[in-house]
Amino acid sequence: MDKILDENLNGPAETVVGPSVKIQGDLNSEGNIKIEGQVSGKVKTSQSVFVIPGAKITADILAGNAVIGGEISGNLKISGHLILQSTAKILGDIACTVLRVEDGAQFSGKCAMGGNVIGNGKKIASEKSGSELEPEE
Amino acid sequence: MEKFEKLQTELQGLLAEFKISGETARVTPLRSIQDLVDTASQRGAKTLVACGTDDTFNLMLAALKGRDFTLGFIPFNENSNLAKILGIENIFLGVKTIAARRIEKIDLAKISGNYFISFLEFGVMSHNIKNASLWQNLKLLSSEAKSFTIRVDDSYNVTINGLGGLVANIRSTSGQGEKIADPTDGNLDLLILERLSKLQILKYRDAISEGTLEKVPNTTVIKCKKIEFLEPRGTNLTMLGRVVAKFPSTVEIIPKRLRMIVGKNRTF
Repeated sequence: MDKILDENLNGPAETVVGPSVKIQGDLNSEGNIKIEGQVSGKVKTSQSVFVIPGAKITADILAGNAVIGGEISGNLKISGHLILQSTAKILGDIACTVLRVEDGAQFSGKCAMGGNVIGNGKKIASEKSGSELEPEE
Repeated sequence: MEKFEKLQTELQGLLAEFKISGETARVTPLRSIQDLVDTASQRGAKTLVACGTDDTFNLMLAALKGRDFTLGFIPFNENSNLAKILGIENIFLGVKTIAARRIEKIDLAKISGNYFISFLEFGVMSHNIKNASLWQNLKLLSSEAKSFTIRVDDSYNVTINGLGGLVANIRSTSGQGEKIADPTDGNLDLLILERLSKLQILKYRDAISEGTLEKVPNTTVIKCKKIEFLEPRGTNLTMLGRVVAKFPSTVEIIPKRLRMIVGKNRTF
């Protein structure tokens, strides 16, 4: 996983939201998204999302994989790996297949893994037909 | 003028050598590029070849107004950006390419009823950076950032404090496997430059002058199909230093719309 993390973080992202950028609305992409600024609305990609320390997101995130280092107010529905770095602050529910939480990460919400039930009883992470996203792998 | 006549003679010689037939017409004070394109269209021409500078081609593209032609280009100057992109660095290669007629379908970008295949810039422009001294560059790139508001794909608004940026369909640094400015991917690439430290200006001056802003730290990169430039109103959108539109303006991509005669050494 560290290899995937390194490759993705250092590799090219199709969409990069710079530190002074504010996005309002639905950010959809077919490739990796790297967020260093602020987003409010919705973030969606079948690939990976990287929320860099200092970034602030008020949005639901739907993605294949995610590495979170910034602040998020919203739900995360990740069909693959989710990594919460030590600087991550999450206020919302999480659904993913594999979860890694580093020391210092803050998370306040419900967590569902491997197709378990979350919130109002809807299956999220690994239920292909019910999910809005298809996992990369 | 003498140089132009010399180039014309060289061109005529090469056209005869490669047995390329067809009608040739010159722009005069009384016959604009628009008139020439209209006449060609009325006479049922299927292929148009612009001979001259990048601007000659861009003006021909704008004069098409959506009409369907196969397009070619023969450069008359050595520093042509378009020639580099299309892989036809000089007149000889230009004529040889026309004779070979290797045709590629590429994306066409549209702004306010005009068409372009390369890139548009706003704010601090690579064209200015390229032609300025180091000291002027430091001054230009140290200027106050402006707040730009841009709507993307009818889906979200981007507000950024930046120096400027570009919308690229294709650029001279486009290469095979390059994800940014690929003219066959059906997308535009929006790159916006944030304010830089003096050290960063010195380090990334070449990347900025080449328009490869993605190499500069903190640059925003967005792949999309439609871009609406909203604020600040009146900001110029330029192509090689020539103003083609002002904010508010909309840029859209029309995938695989243009049939272009290209050389073997094209950058895409």
